[in-house]
Amino acid sequence: MNLYDYKILLVDDEETLRNMVSGFLQRAGFLHVTVAGSCREAEAQFAKVTPHLVLLDVMLPDGDGFSLLKRLRENSEVPVIFLSARDEDESRLRGLGLGADDYITKPFLPEELILRVTAVLKRVYRVKDVREEEAITLGSCLVDLGSGVVYRNRDGEDGGDETKADSVDAEVTLTAKEYAIIQKLAQERGRIVTIDALCDAVWQEGNFGYENTLVVHIRRLREKIEEDPSHPQHLLTVRGLGYRLV
Amino acid sequence: MKGKTNYKYSYKKIPRNILYGMGMIVAITFFTVMLNLFLFSFALYHFYKLDAKYISGGEIMDELTPTEDGYVLSEAMSEKLAEENQWAMLLDENGREVWSEGKPVEVGDSYTQADIARMTRWYLKGYPVRLRVWDDRIMVVGMQRDVMWKYNIEMTISWMDFVKWVWAYFLIINIVWIVVLTAVFIRRFMKNREQTRIEWIAGISHDIRTPLSMVMGYADTLERNGELSEEARQQAAVIRHQSLVMKELIADLNLTSQLEYSMQPFRKEEVRPAEVLRSIVAAFLNDNPEGTMEIALEIAQGAEQLTMRADRQLLLRAFRNLIGNSMRHSGQEEAVSMQISLWREKRKCCIRFEDKGVGYSEEVLRGLQSRSKNDANPNIRGLEIVKKIVQAHGGRVRFGNRKEGGSFCEMWFLRS
Repeated sequence: MNLYDYKILLVDDEETLRNMVSGFLQRAGFLHVTVAGSCREAEAQFAKVTPHLVLLDVMLPDGDGFSLLKRLRENSEVPVIFLSARDEDESRLRGLGLGADDYITKPFLPEELILRVTAVLKRVYRVKDVREEEAITLGSCLVDLGSGVVYRNRDGEDGGDETKADSVDAEVTLTAKEYAIIQKLAQERGRIVTIDALCDAVWQEGNFGYENTLVVHIRRLREKIEEDPSHPQHLLTVRGLGYRLV
Repeated sequence: MKGKTNYKYSYKKIPRNILYGMGMIVAITFFTVMLNLFLFSFALYHFYKLDAKYISGGEIMDELTPTEDGYVLSEAMSEKLAEENQWAMLLDENGREVWSEGKPVEVGDSYTQADIARMTRWYLKGYPVRLRVWDDRIMVVGMQRDVMWKYNIEMTISWMDFVKWVWAYFLIINIVWIVVLTAVFIRRFMKNREQTRIEWIAGISHDIRTPLSMVMGYADTLERNGELSEEARQQAAVIRHQSLVMKELIADLNLTSQLEYSMQPFRKEEVRPAEVLRSIVAAFLNDNPEGTMEIALEIAQGAEQLTMRADRQLLLRAFRNLIGNSMRHSGQEEAVSMQISLWREKRKCCIRFEDKGVGYSEEVLRGLQSRSKNDANPNIRGLEIVKKIVQAHGGRVRFGNRKEGGSFCEMWFLRS
């Protein structure tokens, strides 16, 4: 299914804002945008169109978005992005496990809105993005993020003792931890990823104290993807902060 | 490590509202005590003013001369008795009356021992009397009915010893009670007032945000509209940019008002400052073109594991403001150059931001140290928020200029 075929339900009591936002969404390419101005209307529309994503204003004339979400959650796992005009909602959204997928504080730029909407849709429905490549090329080697295999072209190296015909290529399989690291770095390619974010990606919650282990995994990873692991060209260390994949 | 432990903080340590509340308590206690003293002296004054005194038996005795025809009272004393509306009689050793002056008719002229015993304690036919024994005779001085109330009081010595201190306990308990009561009421009152103010500001900012969404959204659309002239699109860009500035202002206003009264619903959690610093530095380095920014993050030995209870988002906000401030005031240098250090000092977790920019102006430093609100100065506002965030976490912050040029901001928090 194409990203733009997903149905979006927009709930906001302010008609001008509703028109504007649905205009943005349509201009961005989303073809099926339904609007509602109250909780009641939203529930009716929800039953009718069964949207793939709900954009929900926190303050509605006949109730608040939080309780509407609770009611929707009773029989639907639809992703929800809150539109909020109050900072207080932000802390509430952060604090409670309401099951909202994201929130946008008013006022927002159309760009931001579209970015969040597409990000949530991609995450929830696993739509492949052009940016999320299946494989990444790092110099002379290719990392297949689908299978977790590194294909190395040994052209540049001294491969004199290779005996097999396909000796130019070597296959190395990544361990689960290495795979998690390279995946995280590839997602943020070109940007610095802090050691904390990497530990989060590899060990999830309560990762404190894994920094030293991370260094070990990084070294092994470099051995697999770098031509000269002691002088890395692709997986760079940013002193004191983390790592960057270039 | 940085050896700066003796922090000098010139700003007030006690929040304004608490000072105000304490002042109110002192004032109310003082006025209550004063009011009580006044009422007490007023009562005392009336007690003396309305007091009726028995003319003493001795005095009458002195003016009484025995003659052959019986006793004769001096003219002066006779007048005095009449003036005071009192009467007197003298009884002999057998309880018989030998002399009297102004005695009411109901009062008899002979008394048994029991009668005498009774009148010393209570009344004589309803008349209050006082007795004075003179050799073997008894002088009885009486007043009119319903003038004196009398009662015999007897107390144990231990009770009297206790009573000596009772007034002191009484006073202390009263003062404590007044203080507590006043504190409770003032707190409630202030809280209400603050709550109203915060809600008012939150309400206003809420009401501004929705229309601002439209301004921002449509300005952005116009800016991207290829059919418009370059000039029109430029103007739309200005509107969009300024609406972003307004968005920041509203957020600042809201946050400041909540921090001012420590009403920010703190979502405190165990936070590792090292991690928070790394993430904010990485975010800044990622979002700015390479080479325009240089931030050295130095985490001292043993500071990596430091934790503290804090609201992570607020900490990020404070750090963001500080780095943003250094970026705006980087001076002539092309790249922003900052150094951020984190180290541990006993129970404290210390963080220092420094840059090589132009440093804080005198005005900004004065503004940050003054007690008066100086939120109007945009250079100060961002740093005021830093100050408030640190204070809201029970920490301390100090701003200043480095000798080598550039500014610094040093803060500490209690570690957990």
